[in-house]
Amino acid sequence: MHMSDALLSPAVGGTFWAISGGLIAWSVKKTALDQDGRKTALMGVLGAFVFAAQMINFTIPGTGSSGHLGGGLLLTVLLGPWRAFIALASVLVIQCLFFADGGVLALGCNIFNLAFFPAFVAYPFLYRTIAGNPLSSGRLGPASVIAATAGLLMGACSVVIQTTASGISALPFGTFLLFMLPIHLAIGIVEGLVTWAVVAFAAKAEPSILDMQHDSGKRSALVPAVFVLVALLTGGVLSWFASSYPDGLEWSMAKTSGMEELEGRDAPLHSKLSSIQEKLAFLPDYGFRPSAETAGSQEISATENPVNPGTSISGIAGSIMVLILAGAAGMLIRSSVHRTENAGE
Amino acid sequence: MSEGCLQQNPAEHSLPAGDRAILAILVIFIVFVVGVPKDNLPTVIAYGGFPLFVITALRLPFRLIMKRLVMLSPFVIFMAAGNLYFDQQPIFKTGGVQITGGMISAGVIAAKSFVTLSALLLFSHSVPFHRFGNALRAYGVPEMFATQLQLVYRYSFLLGDEARSLQKARDLRSFGRRGKDIRTTAQLIGSLLVRAFWRAESIYMAMSARGFGNSIPIRHFEPFTTRDGILVAAATLGFFAVRIIFLQ
Repeated sequence: MHMSDALLSPAVGGTFWAISGGLIAWSVKKTALDQDGRKTALMGVLGAFVFAAQMINFTIPGTGSSGHLGGGLLLTVLLGPWRAFIALASVLVIQCLFFADGGVLALGCNIFNLAFFPAFVAYPFLYRTIAGNPLSSGRLGPASVIAATAGLLMGACSVVIQTTASGISALPFGTFLLFMLPIHLAIGIVEGLVTWAVVAFAAKAEPSILDMQHDSGKRSALVPAVFVLVALLTGGVLSWFASSYPDGLEWSMAKTSGMEELEGRDAPLHSKLSSIQEKLAFLPDYGFRPSAETAGSQEISATENPVNPGTSISGIAGSIMVLILAGAAGMLIRSSVHRTENAGE
Repeated sequence: MSEGCLQQNPAEHSLPAGDRAILAILVIFIVFVVGVPKDNLPTVIAYGGFPLFVITALRLPFRLIMKRLVMLSPFVIFMAAGNLYFDQQPIFKTGGVQITGGMISAGVIAAKSFVTLSALLLFSHSVPFHRFGNALRAYGVPEMFATQLQLVYRYSFLLGDEARSLQKARDLRSFGRRGKDIRTTAQLIGSLLVRAFWRAESIYMAMSARGFGNSIPIRHFEPFTTRDGILVAAATLGFFAVRIIFLQ
């Protein structure tokens, strides 16, 4: 799944360089708090272990082809998210610069797709939640398979978004996604099975290997960061490809009344509220307010080119507003629960 | 690990620039190549002149580099094929053959891959890894990350040899596909992991005995000289000139 420079625009490549560079700096800052030379040597050797393990091929059941371990989730299980991210990023830098696997400009995208998702999303939210703490051997299998598959699928989706946003490929977004997801679903399941088997082997042969990371429980600062990033990506980029067909309610109304939207009654309250809504809505219909001249041509251009800054701004603004409202609601509930508990005492 | 490595210890060629300047020129070159529009094949071909010039001027092993270049990534081939299939808008006709937009953009994707990959291979063949790590440090990359890069690179060859031995032992005892299943292979990888873990302990003890303090001490960085600055500026101007001439 290594991206090549040839498939990226400088803007997309540069953006992901900045994001991945920031994540590396953040991870270095986090791990610098724990100045343990033993772990530094271990990170280097386990990074090299991923290189070496990729040389050992196995037969993929039912296909007649062979594959190898990716190692993103396995390294995270062994080292914890921060150290695994640094080790994975260093593996990808070496693969790029000294083995010509992936491109220099694509390096930021590759680090994001292959290291960020397993280390900061799949591991804390899926693997640890399912596997439990302390590690339950019965739940290790589902945890490994689900987390590895989800990490790979998120990476594959990210590849599709980055390539489509670069505008180099003629593959339509939906077709590309349909090509990428099934193959990465299969690869992810195999990756999960291998990760499960290796972790189970290590747990029996050398249990101390699984006790190396102690910072894995600290995910409080990461949770909002991941949610913000996913929300911004969804609102800012995926919204371009939202279906223009009517939603379920509009479809039902169209079937019963022949119109997608029912006309409002002429009551003064309805018209007053409608005019207030029109004035307040700064991004009506999820786009910029059209001027009189451009209103007609807008529909045509939207079908030709799905990339629309108005839609992106609407998506991002909407995501931020929902996050603020959800956060405020959560704080209100927390303070009211706190008050009730204090009153009970 | 990729088998596309030219050699384990790249030869130190007498390039007329410091490592930091070479790294800067590589990144600038790739940004210029990637910035070529998807329908402009002549500009990408013109940029291909730069790696070709370096290969001939420094007498680098042309055959080895070409051998690696023909192994284009399957993903790039898939994307180029996608353009061939989905963009069939006729652009012009030559010798009775209809050239479509997809043919041109697929050619640009393949050519960009070829040119950027050859620049990367030149870099890996000209700058030894320890000097690359020092160049990164001089550019302000966090010490911990630079140390990690050097440790991973150093031990990948050692563990790579062990992985090859394990795989050979398994293959000698396997018949057909038997013994190459996921369960058996996972146990091999598990053994490699346990060995790597104990090796890390030995390495840490050996490094501690030699005064390792969580980072590899570097006495001095190679300075970024005026000559380096002139070379980076001249290369940038050259790349810019190609862009202006061919994108007119």
